[in-house]
Amino acid sequence: MSVTAHPAPGIEEYQPVFTGKTLDQLNGILPRYPTKQAALLPALWLVQQARGWISDRNMTEVAEVLGLTPAYVKGVVTFYTMYHQHPVGKHFVQVCTTSPCNVCGAEAVVRALLDATGAGELGATSPDGKWTVIEVECLGACGFATPLLIDDDFIESVTPEKVAALVKRYK
Amino acid sequence: MGYPHKPHPQETVVLSKHFGEVEARSYKGWVKRGGYEALKQALTMEPAKITDVVKESGLRGRGGAGFPTGLKWSFMPKEKKKPHYLCVNADESEPGTFKDREIMRWTPHALLEGTAIAAHAIQAEVAYVYIRGEFTEPCAIMEQALGEANAAGVFGKIKIYLHRGAGAYICGEETALMNSIEGKRGNPRIKPPFPAAFGVFGMPTTINNVETLVAVPHILRNGAAWYKGLSLSSPKSTGTKLFSVCGHVQRPGNYEVTMGFPLKDLLYELCGGMPSGRTLKACIPGGSSVPILNREETERCLLDYEGVVEQGSMLGSGGVIVFDDSVDMVYQIMRLARFYAHESCAQCTQCREGTAWTTRILERMLAGQGKPADLDLLLDLSENMTGKTICVLSDSCAAPVVSGIKKFRNEFEAYLAGKKHPVLAA
Amino acid sequence: MPDDAVQLTIDGVAVSVPKGTLVIEAAKQAGVLVPHYCYHPGLSVAGVCRMCLVEIEKQPKLAIACATQAAEGMVVKTQSEPAKRARTSVLEFLLINHPLDCPICDQAGECELQDFTFQEGRPATRYSPDYAKRFNPVEDFGPDVLYVPNRCILCTRCVRFMEEVAKEPVLNVSERGDRAYIGIHAEARLDHPWAGNVVDLCPVGSLLSKDFLHKARAWELDKTAAVCTGCSQGCNVTLDTRENVVVRVRPRPNLAVNRYFICDHGRMNYRWMNRGDRVEAPLMRRDGELRATDWDEALDRVGTLLRGASGRAVALVSPRVSTEALFLARELLSGLDWMGAFQVVMGEEAPLAGIPNLALRAERAPNAMGAELLGYRRDYAAALAAAESAALVLVLDEPEVAVRTAGALLYIGTVLPEGARGAEAVLPIANVAEEEGTFVNRDGRVQRYLQAKPPPGMARPAWWVLSELLATAQRGDHPATPADAFDLLAATVPAFAGLSYASLGLGGQGLNREVRVPA
Repeated sequence: MSVTAHPAPGIEEYQPVFTGKTLDQLNGILPRYPTKQAALLPALWLVQQARGWISDRNMTEVAEVLGLTPAYVKGVVTFYTMYHQHPVGKHFVQVCTTSPCNVCGAEAVVRALLDATGAGELGATSPDGKWTVIEVECLGACGFATPLLIDDDFIESVTPEKVAALVKRYK
Repeated sequence: MGYPHKPHPQETVVLSKHFGEVEARSYKGWVKRGGYEALKQALTMEPAKITDVVKESGLRGRGGAGFPTGLKWSFMPKEKKKPHYLCVNADESEPGTFKDREIMRWTPHALLEGTAIAAHAIQAEVAYVYIRGEFTEPCAIMEQALGEANAAGVFGKIKIYLHRGAGAYICGEETALMNSIEGKRGNPRIKPPFPAAFGVFGMPTTINNVETLVAVPHILRNGAAWYKGLSLSSPKSTGTKLFSVCGHVQRPGNYEVTMGFPLKDLLYELCGGMPSGRTLKACIPGGSSVPILNREETERCLLDYEGVVEQGSMLGSGGVIVFDDSVDMVYQIMRLARFYAHESCAQCTQCREGTAWTTRILERMLAGQGKPADLDLLLDLSENMTGKTICVLSDSCAAPVVSGIKKFRNEFEAYLAGKKHPVLAA
Repeated sequence: MPDDAVQLTIDGVAVSVPKGTLVIEAAKQAGVLVPHYCYHPGLSVAGVCRMCLVEIEKQPKLAIACATQAAEGMVVKTQSEPAKRARTSVLEFLLINHPLDCPICDQAGECELQDFTFQEGRPATRYSPDYAKRFNPVEDFGPDVLYVPNRCILCTRCVRFMEEVAKEPVLNVSERGDRAYIGIHAEARLDHPWAGNVVDLCPVGSLLSKDFLHKARAWELDKTAAVCTGCSQGCNVTLDTRENVVVRVRPRPNLAVNRYFICDHGRMNYRWMNRGDRVEAPLMRRDGELRATDWDEALDRVGTLLRGASGRAVALVSPRVSTEALFLARELLSGLDWMGAFQVVMGEEAPLAGIPNLALRAERAPNAMGAELLGYRRDYAAALAAAESAALVLVLDEPEVAVRTAGALLYIGTVLPEGARGAEAVLPIANVAEEEGTFVNRDGRVQRYLQAKPPPGMARPAWWVLSELLATAQRGDHPATPADAFDLLAATVPAFAGLSYASLGLGGQGLNREVRVPA
């Protein structure tokens, strides 16, 4: 593509994500698909795993690596809710509150979490930078209400009573 | 079985036989349980023959649409001129449904085996298993299993890859799933063209649900007649189905019963009935996108494709959501509308704007600011959102709204009359 | 009837179309405009706006006309109750978040949302004031384009244009659901040489041209078919004028040349048409000075000059002058030992990647090909040299003239440059927007342009001036209309044989008897 990205002046030098081991991982993924574009979702996961979130500059790098435009990558990133477009707390909590879990007390679990983590508000990061809590849609574990994800840990059957102990397990 | 509960005698345990057995996750453990025999058999058969057996068995898609699987496979070009693809729909995001998760985390090899057999039947060399991003545990288990199976070389020339989603319910729609694999926004495509003609990367493609594919090895090993015989309502609905029961029952979980099983027995016998002191108010039998059944309809309902339609709803994914008499129907319908508004891909005008508008009307109603005209407005919007869009997410938002107003009108009117306290959170 | 034709009925009108024709296109033949937004013949089918829902007999659901192929025996009803209700509902859904901006929105008067709402929409809102409308601030996308997210109906025409036609996907759809908007990466700008087309494509006032912002109301504009003068591609355009000032240039569809698009260079290249520093009266040299006079005297005196001229004549012409004028100038000098030359400003070529043979061309003039075909040469330096000793030098609207001559300098032009102040006579002419004429583009296509505004003062079209001079100088036929001028040209110059002003129409015609493509 002929579009060039022009980062604003005065920004510190960008450290590419796709070097060393991460680049190896991407190169291992590319042959699975007949197009480079199809490796976009896996590439974005690699960025998020490495950096915790996906910045505009990261999107430009992914675009260059896969032969896409930054705007295109951004359109994809903003479509999928699991990609973070800004930094989040050290631990990212996703609580399901869709109807099947809702009728089993999911919203009380959310309130307990906001309290116990100090995050206070949905989407906000706690003052100590450790926690961000959000509500998400159906997590596909409705029979184990209320399920939640803390980072990559999928935890079932959470009740308000169990929240404090759960939060303590994460430093 | 009703994992995490012990299998109930009234269950017909086939697909869920090894739920809860950690050893079943390993290649060795699976082979010990008779695994990969069907695949060995399939790889010696002509693709068309496998399709015939599956057609004969009456297996229908378990993701929600209920389309005859053998027929779907037969849409693929007989003569192979381009690469063929199989996509496995493990995006399970329909509220109330949690069966594919169990299949993947307890019997990953069953899915891999079914996938490989299906790939062979449709002459595909590559299969992508599209797993929703939130399924971190099933994904890790599937990765491990795939590594072991590849090392054992069971798939022959067929390559199976895992492709992780990133948080979009709409990617469970087959054409949106294909777009997502291609590295695009998960927008559903206009049909025609159909996937068998123009699918992922523009190549002939078949998309099958997880539960559909794990039935295939059993059908091959035991025969189509056996599969048909499992059901109470052959030949239209055959085999067994995993029903994910959740909400207000004593023992929520996945229960495998024969097609045609009475919903009443599922809820009161297998699941142990309502929580203590509570009565059944409503039930959504097929995941949240189907019409809500009231108590009478629920207790009359037979669980097969035709039986549920007879009661005015659909079997869908078999995600059975149970509401007892403590549930505020208006609030839950609002919460469902909010789900659809959040998940809309934004292509079609009616869906993009209508799901959000519907949610807002219901939120206002719950805040005590509803107007009498709101009910007719909701019904009118729902009609405008039905049958007029690229995919059925829009229709799915309308379903609970229309059936909710029809069957629980008194609850809506209570809010309009100001008789209830406004409720902003359950 | 061709074998692959399909017969169908649309709103009771029987039509026959080639196999594969979309119902929305077939409907045009039946005289039916199916309301639509996201569909555009120059872009891929998206099928997202849902505005073109129609009823098709025997089909259980309404179908979108833009994605349905006409089939034999199909019966389409666009005005049935279910179809109308569905379209009314689409309009309602579009309007719930759409701001009531008409009084301040540039698109008013040429807005498809206004048009279809007036035609099929609900008379009142069921949304406001109970619910707040979505709000996002205006964004500056780049050199000329503003994006007003509040007005956007997410038809995605702009995204598809940049991706498929410009082949530079710099616009995207961001977010999901009713939070969606058209996004551009933070580090990118919409500076593609053809990006301005997204403003035309936008059915509403969401993508706006900064150049045109708040300049005029659509209903105040007079629209004239013309040809772009920016380069030798010859894109067909429409000049929009308000009170005789050109305020905007937009593409005019021509499937053989520019399809539906023009480049930003051509789009912005109109201010010179409104220049005020024009020669407004014929000027004759008297007592060492140029003095204004009237046409009678000017033509008479120049005619005398021409009749008495002998020896070398040099014509320095602009490649921006009409073919007719170039031809008549040549005729005027034909009795002398004449040579003619032109020079073309060059620039960088900028193709529109998704369309074959369409680019902003390096030659930044519309009629270089016409000049060449009429015998003018590109060796401008040689002509300048020859002019020094020529008996007569005719300069035709070349403002960059630094010619010195021992003979008589006759300057026919729109403005009076320094280099022409030594002329014997200066005859004022109309510019391209003030006359009708033809250009020949680089592919040999002859295209007509029409008059958009009157010339200032006593200026007249160049062809008329030269024709009158031919009469006065008694040098042969002098046509009385632009059509006569062209037909004379076609009868005289072999390259133009077989063409006529009538046959050119408004879509143009290729030289050497190519089939005319309708505009």
